[in-house]
Parts: sequence; C-alpha cells; structure tokens
Amino acid sequence: MPYKVQPGVIGCAIRPAIAARDRSLEEIIYDTTQQALADAGLTIDDIDGIIVGSNDQLDGRAISVMMASGAVGGVDRDILSTPSGSEHAFILGALRVATGQFQTQLVVAWSPTEASSIQEVERLGADPYFHRALPLDELSAHALQASVLEQKIPGVRDMADTVLAKNRRHGEIAYPGEHGQPGPARWPLAAGTTTRPVTGCVAMVLATSDFIAKRGLTDVAWVRGMGWATEPSFLGDRDLSAAPALAAAALQAYQEAGITDPMAQLDVVEVTDATPYAELLAYEALGLCARNDWAARVGDGTFAHDGKLPVNLSGGVQTFNPVFCTGLIRFAEIANQVRGRAGAHQHPNTNNGLAQAGSGFAMQYQAAIVLGREKEVRT
Amino acid sequence: MELMTRQETWNITYNHALGETASWFYAQIRDHSKIYGRRCAATGRVLVPPRSFSDQTLEPTTEWVEVGPGGRIEAFTIVYEEFQNLPPPPYAFGYVLLDGADTALGGYFKGLDLTDPAKAAERLKMGTRVVTKFAEQRTGDVLDFWYEIA
Repeated sequence: MPYKVQPGVIGCAIRPAIAARDRSLEEIIYDTTQQALADAGLTIDDIDGIIVGSNDQLDGRAISVMMASGAVGGVDRDILSTPSGSEHAFILGALRVATGQFQTQLVVAWSPTEASSIQEVERLGADPYFHRALPLDELSAHALQASVLEQKIPGVRDMADTVLAKNRRHGEIAYPGEHGQPGPARWPLAAGTTTRPVTGCVAMVLATSDFIAKRGLTDVAWVRGMGWATEPSFLGDRDLSAAPALAAAALQAYQEAGITDPMAQLDVVEVTDATPYAELLAYEALGLCARNDWAARVGDGTFAHDGKLPVNLSGGVQTFNPVFCTGLIRFAEIANQVRGRAGAHQHPNTNNGLAQAGSGFAMQYQAAIVLGREKEVRT
Repeated sequence: MELMTRQETWNITYNHALGETASWFYAQIRDHSKIYGRRCAATGRVLVPPRSFSDQTLEPTTEWVEVGPGGRIEAFTIVYEEFQNLPPPPYAFGYVLLDGADTALGGYFKGLDLTDPAKAAERLKMGTRVVTKFAEQRTGDVLDFWYEIA
C-alpha cells in the first residue's frame, strides 16, 4: 500500500445538471454537502477538514471559498481550496487522510452558469501577454487538438462520432430523458460534438480505514492509487496529438495500485470526454488501447456498456458538462460504481475502477485515480 | 413563486506589466516587423513567444533569435461565434512553428475564403507553409501580425 493510512470514499452526492433556479449557488452547495454526508451516514461534526474546488471567474465571487465556507460546514473548521481543478480537491483530501492526521475529509466542487458568457470567462485562463487577443477558450483548445488529431490519424472523425454516440447512449441509461444542449461548432468540431455548460455540484466524503472499521461502514471505495501531472501552459509548446501528462499520471496511479494490465484488472472507467477526441487520447494514455487499435476497439464496442471495459457509463461530459466540476464528478461516478451505488447505470461485479480528470486548455491538468472494493488489488 | 436574479456588470481595467522580455519582443514587432524568440542555453531550443526562462529547464534564456517570417501550421480552428473585443466571425486562428523556432506562436490566419469551412480547412492543413504579414500601423501587440498561406 502506498499510503501510511489508506483512504476510502464513504459518501458521494452527484448533481451533474441543475436546471431549476429555486436555490442560490450557496444553497445548492449546502444541499449537495448534506446529501453526501447523509450518504456516508455522518454529520458535519464527524468531519475533520474540508477541501473545496471552485473557480472564481465562473462563480463571480472572488476567493469563492469565502462565500462557500458556511454552505459546506467550514465555519470554525479546517477548510482549504483548490482553484486549479475540482479533481485536485479530491487528491488533496485523500492525501490528508493518508497522512493519518485526519480521520475524515469532505470534498466539494461546483460549477454555476450565472456568467453571461462562459467562453469569455474561460478566456481569462489564457496568459494576458500573448494569448488574450485570440479567441482562446476551452472549446477553441479542444478544436485545435481535434484538428491535429484529424491530420495525424486518418478516420479519427468516424471514431470520434462512434465514441460520442456511445456516451450519449450511456447517458440515456444513466439519466433517461435528460441530456445537455448541443454545443456550438468550431472547426473541426461540428455543432453537437460538445455539450453546452450546465450548473452542477458534487461532494464526496473520505475517511481512514480505522474510522471506516469503527463505524462498520461496508460500501467503501478504497483509494488504491492516484497520479497527477501538468503540461506546459502555452498550447504552442505542446504536442496536442498526445496526452503525456495523463500517461505520467496513469503510471503513478497504476504503480501505487499494482495495476499492470489495466484492460484485465479494471472493471469500469470514467474519463473527461469534453470531446470524443479527448476520450480517444485518454484510451491511449491510460494504456487501454493504442491509437492504432482505436478504430477496431471503438468499432467492436469494447468500451460500450456491454463491452469488455465500459467507459463513461454515466454518459460523461458529453451528456452533462458542468465545466469546472466535471473532474470530481468522474471520480464520484467511479466511487459509486465501486460502492454499488451508481443507480440506473450500475455495472455488475465492479471491483476495480479508474477515473480520469482533465482540466485546463486541451487538458493541461491531468489526474487519474484507481478505486477498489477491496483494499488490495485483486488480479 | 417569482424567482428573481440580481444582475451585475463589472468593468475593471488591468494594466499587466509585460516585463523586459515581452516588451522587447513587441517593440521589435512594432518598430521593425520582426519576430524574435529566446534561446534556452541548456537545451538550445528557441522559445516563441519569448520567455526570460524556460519552464522545462528553469534556466534563464540567454539569447534573442530572429524567427520566421515563414513557418508551417501546427494547429488551426475556425471560429463562428463572436468574442468580446475580437474581430467579427468567422475567422481562423491557430499555431505556427516559425522557421528557426522550437515552439509554435498563436495568431490569426487571413486571406482565406471561409464560406466553405471544409475547403478552408484543406488549405490550413497541418504542415502547410505560411508567411507572417504585418499591419501597416503597428502598436506592439499580437494583432500587429497574422499568417497567410505562402
């Protein structure tokens, strides 16, 4: 085991698309936090520390952890914030549990749609020296990456279309009758290849093995491995046809978890499919499928719900796109799969699951975690 | 019941200090219509846009190197939506590896008919040779230059 104390996920609340306007953002965060605590069978008095993942530009609130402290139970409690990514909130929370200095951690992230233009908000992510005078938002970065892949890999658009259709089918199973609105075109991404942003919120509860044993908790997703890495911030410095940071993150997570053959040892996977091209890149970087085999594996349904290794049973980001918290939602989805609490899209016999989170322009930040029903990897 | 919203509009102006390196880079564009990168002494790579240090080696860069005006397309997209304070769409932009550079520089592609995106995309294929053009009136900004198919 790579950790001094092995963390386990004992509670989750996933709200991937909140359309109603009857609750303010702070009330949505409060509701979601309470839902995760109830799922864990805890109250806020059981929580030793809180990590929130939030984005000031999207929130329209500077240092948004300040306004969120009350909603997540942070008043008079230990609370930290990770604006770099919602998935980083989980990693920090899990590492804190792993130190043995904390029995429990609450992790919460959200992403509202209160700004008049999400694309203008995202442009603030570019450096103000060389890139602000370009239309560089997340969709542009994804489109640039897709254009490179279309040049390098003949037929990749057909593969992407098949991945998109798979995830939309999964979304119909997971959230019947609900789906996000189609995103705009940006060459080579056709209209509807992406999904327009929606408001979302997600919360997770982590605890030590001692705490879990004392409380007699049984539906646990044990953290077996985690990895994270970052690519250069300037897109012009990067090879957009690959995801080296994800490969590094996966290597770290697999080494910690004892995963040597991910296709054989994993039962379910969730990836941040902001575009289907990003999902294809994740297959390669996660060691699930080399690019030369993309067409064959996508075509034979290997990653479909009834395939050898289902990917994105939730429908992924292509079903709902709450921009900033999509990463932590991927983590929570796999935690629920491992805990047997995924609902309509629960996969049978899930022992080991992997979740990948990518954020920033063309997935600059990458993270991967391996969760398992047993503490040790079952091969 | 009636559900209300509170609308706010903020108008804050930032004056970002460019520092010596980016200032010199833009001064050369404004005054001489030339683009320069900085060489990383540790690797020899020429970084464009220029930086005073390499974020790969964390070593200071040591030398200005003129790059371009020719180059080849590394990535592109065509934008159909309007952005604040940017040209009216549609337009194409992307990254070009200028001759002599090791990293690609973002900019607009001009001189293309974008009414048929598929045809325009054919002309913007990765590896296509382009040349950097400069505006008659230059202010020392990214918008002072653009790329055209060579």
